[in-house]
Amino acid sequence: MSAPSAAPEAGRTGGGPILAAAGVTMQFGGLRALGDVSFDLMEGQIIGLIGPNGAGKTTLFNCLTGLYAPTSGSVSLRGERLPQDPALVTEKGIARTFQNIRLFPSMTAEENVLVGRHVRMKQSPLSSLLHGPKFKRSEAAARVRSGELLNFVGLGRFSDELARNLPYGDQRRLEIARALATDPSVLLLDEPTAGMNAQETEATRQLIFAIRDLGISVVVIEHDTKFIFTLCDRVLVLVQGELLVEGGPDEVRGDPRVVEAYLGAPPEEVEARLYSSAAVDESPGGAHRKEDGP
Amino acid sequence: MTTTSPAGAPPAPRPAGPPPGRTARLIAALGPHATVLRGAGGLLTLIGALLPWATFVLNKGPYPDKATLQYFVAPFGVTGFRWQLLLFGIAALVLALAPVPARGRLLRGLAWGIIGIAVVNGLFITVEGGGLGAITVTDGSVACGAVVTLLAGVLVELGARAGGIEPRPVWTWRFGPWVERAVLVVVYVLMLFVVAATLTSGGTGGAANRYSGAVFLSFLAALGGAFAALHASGLMTWVATVAERHRVFSVLVLLAMALALPLTAAGNEYWMTVAANIGVYAATAIGLNIVVGLAGLLDLGYVAFLGIGAFVAANLSGAAAAKFDVHLPFALVMVISAVIAGMFGAVVGSPTLRVRGDYLAIVTLAFGEIFVRTAQNNIFGLTGGSNAIPGIPQVELFGTRFSDRIAVAGIQLPAGVLYYLLIVFLVAIVMLVFSHLKESRLGRAWIAIREDEDAARAMGIRTGPIKIMAFLCGATLAGFAGAFFAHKTGTVSYESFRFTESVTLIAAVILGGMGTVPGAVLGASLLFVLPEKLREFADYRLLLFGLALILIMRFRPQGLVPDRHRRAELARDPADEPPPGGSTAGSRAEVAA
Ligand SMILES: Nc1ncnc2c1ncn2[C@@H]1O[C@H](COP(=O)(O)OP(=O)(O)OP(=O)(O)O)[C@@H](O)[C@H]1O
Ligand SMILES: [Mg+2]
Repeated sequence: MSAPSAAPEAGRTGGGPILAAAGVTMQFGGLRALGDVSFDLMEGQIIGLIGPNGAGKTTLFNCLTGLYAPTSGSVSLRGERLPQDPALVTEKGIARTFQNIRLFPSMTAEENVLVGRHVRMKQSPLSSLLHGPKFKRSEAAARVRSGELLNFVGLGRFSDELARNLPYGDQRRLEIARALATDPSVLLLDEPTAGMNAQETEATRQLIFAIRDLGISVVVIEHDTKFIFTLCDRVLVLVQGELLVEGGPDEVRGDPRVVEAYLGAPPEEVEARLYSSAAVDESPGGAHRKEDGP
Repeated sequence: MTTTSPAGAPPAPRPAGPPPGRTARLIAALGPHATVLRGAGGLLTLIGALLPWATFVLNKGPYPDKATLQYFVAPFGVTGFRWQLLLFGIAALVLALAPVPARGRLLRGLAWGIIGIAVVNGLFITVEGGGLGAITVTDGSVACGAVVTLLAGVLVELGARAGGIEPRPVWTWRFGPWVERAVLVVVYVLMLFVVAATLTSGGTGGAANRYSGAVFLSFLAALGGAFAALHASGLMTWVATVAERHRVFSVLVLLAMALALPLTAAGNEYWMTVAANIGVYAATAIGLNIVVGLAGLLDLGYVAFLGIGAFVAANLSGAAAAKFDVHLPFALVMVISAVIAGMFGAVVGSPTLRVRGDYLAIVTLAFGEIFVRTAQNNIFGLTGGSNAIPGIPQVELFGTRFSDRIAVAGIQLPAGVLYYLLIVFLVAIVMLVFSHLKESRLGRAWIAIREDEDAARAMGIRTGPIKIMAFLCGATLAGFAGAFFAHKTGTVSYESFRFTESVTLIAAVILGGMGTVPGAVLGASLLFVLPEKLREFADYRLLLFGLALILIMRFRPQGLVPDRHRRAELARDPADEPPPGGSTAGSRAEVAA
């Protein structure tokens, strides 16, 4: 395995949280999708975010990345408050993937990753026009880096393949590579294993560990609780927009409130579900689907 | 649903999937007779080529020698579409008998060429001769060439499908670099002659030659069939890959070929003027391709930037009607026009920050209308209103006016050739600008915005400035072309920059292939040659034009020259190759570990 060359640039604060959300509230008209959510992400940590459908997990990601402006509360990266613009947030060092894959379908895998390099490349409009030596160097460097990242996620062979032609699992990996190309210090993954088989899920787990080993802090949304409990250093449980429980995997797993609120079923049954790899998401007509929808 | 199988008989085993349609059943039934059908079709094509096509002899118009349907009657004058049909017939016969790879596919191309020729000429004679009698039997004279040929085309098509349509072969021949270059030169020289033949086929048209439009369309049908067959053979794809290997060489030879056009049959003043106009619209279409093709922003008022460039140039060129009494050199005028048009582009682009999709199209449409109205009202005395700005002086270099005839090395070149050569260079520059921008951080950001704007923002692309850049670059190129336009035509009037021109430019981009350079050039050429060629169909001109567009979009939705990626995708037939890495996820699982 070839690892991408470098961890994100300097400027780290020792000890403090890298990402901090303080009292983030998101109101959609009458619907309170997030209510006063606060958490800290420490450097090199993997945090899991779980909760039933419609709990507000994706909404929280959207607030963290500046896609939504929270009704109240603030998000800061290394103590610095983040701007309200996804492009600027990405530049500051937060990258994300999407729950429903959003690649650039008619670009190749390599080009998708190159787009991720956008914020870390410098090319003046004039040099784009003239393709001088400086331009060529910057382009070559970006391609080398893209190649490394594609190898890193295991897609090296498919760099010239159109994104839309890749199998589903590979598209999710490509989205991760594209996010990594922005040299993030925090990576937000929204259901990275949705639709994957057991083998692919395991590969993704290893991939996330490898990303953490590069010094990147990760927040993962996932319905597959077994996946989350074996991956994360800390787990947040979001229910109806409220942060219900927060703690280590073992702590959260045993917490009766989680069992009660998250699954709304008697504990024995829940135990069984928590340890089956079938995601809650997949249970057809489950009683817990979108029960708190608008 | 009722079953048609006789009572008691066991139901015939059906393959899974929807039941085959009537055509599919017919094709399946014809299967064993494929070779016979193909051969018969080829033979019938030869017969059709030699039969008389019209029962009428029409004699009207100022040029009696041309204004007859004799051309279609004379059975032994093997000219025009007749020799094309002979070639097609012989090719079909050969393919019916010889085991050529992918011959079913090849035959289909030929079949559609034959059908096209039959339909175009048949329709024309029917309309001119006043009814179906003109192509069948009238007053004892029989002329069934069109009908027989149409039948022949249908037979070839049926035979091709009955025998099965094989996947397009992929050739991987590699020769020494100089052999490959020689092949490329031969191909490009042939291309030059095809271009010249297309331009001149049917002559200049108008009142002088009533056949011109029909001859041209018929030639286009033959050309389309021939290209389809060549494409089916996989040879064109092979040439394209060879050209990719020798990219710089290809570009240089193509440039040389473009410069050599005046030496061919198209080398007279009329065609030089047409070609120069095509060049203007090609350059403009490439600029529009940045906005529409790369950034995916629909601009319905784009021709206004061409207009702004033209008016700026007109005012700085020393024309009597110009606002300013200056006469700047052409190169400087061109730069100023481009810059000012670019500035307007940025201004028009700024609403893109607030509106998306259809709303943006409406804003740009409104801008185009505002431009035409203000120009019509001679705003600030800059546009001459309905009087236009006439008398813009010719471009001059070393005392030679660009409209003059010149002789090089004893060869007399037609008037207007210098303008033609100039626009070839300008288009080449515009192409270079486009492809350089496309292959840069900026170009990728444009494409990313086109593909998924939210995802692009999440990747750190500041969509606002990047979109304005797209408008700015596109408008600059149009302004550049506008300066040339002003000098070439000598008169700039608001009438040249109406909504229909914008629509035609958009059509050129989509027709040619979104986001590609050759596509925009080809699209612009077609859309600005067709009206020129179909002049004598006055009333039907727009109808035919629309029909051609619909046909092309129906059979080739990706445009005539699809993007490199789409080409790669099309080259791989999804039917005979599983999607890459379909089941390899597991084997790659450890890679990430
Ligand atoms: N832009 C929006 N406008 C209005 N309501 C919204 C918007 N985005 C999300 N919501 C609502 O907010 C609630 C939380 O949605 P969110 O997508 O964050 O849930 P989730 O936890 O990600 O669920 P899932 O597990 O299904 O992905 C839902 O009720 C949803 O309908
Ligand atoms: Mg979600």
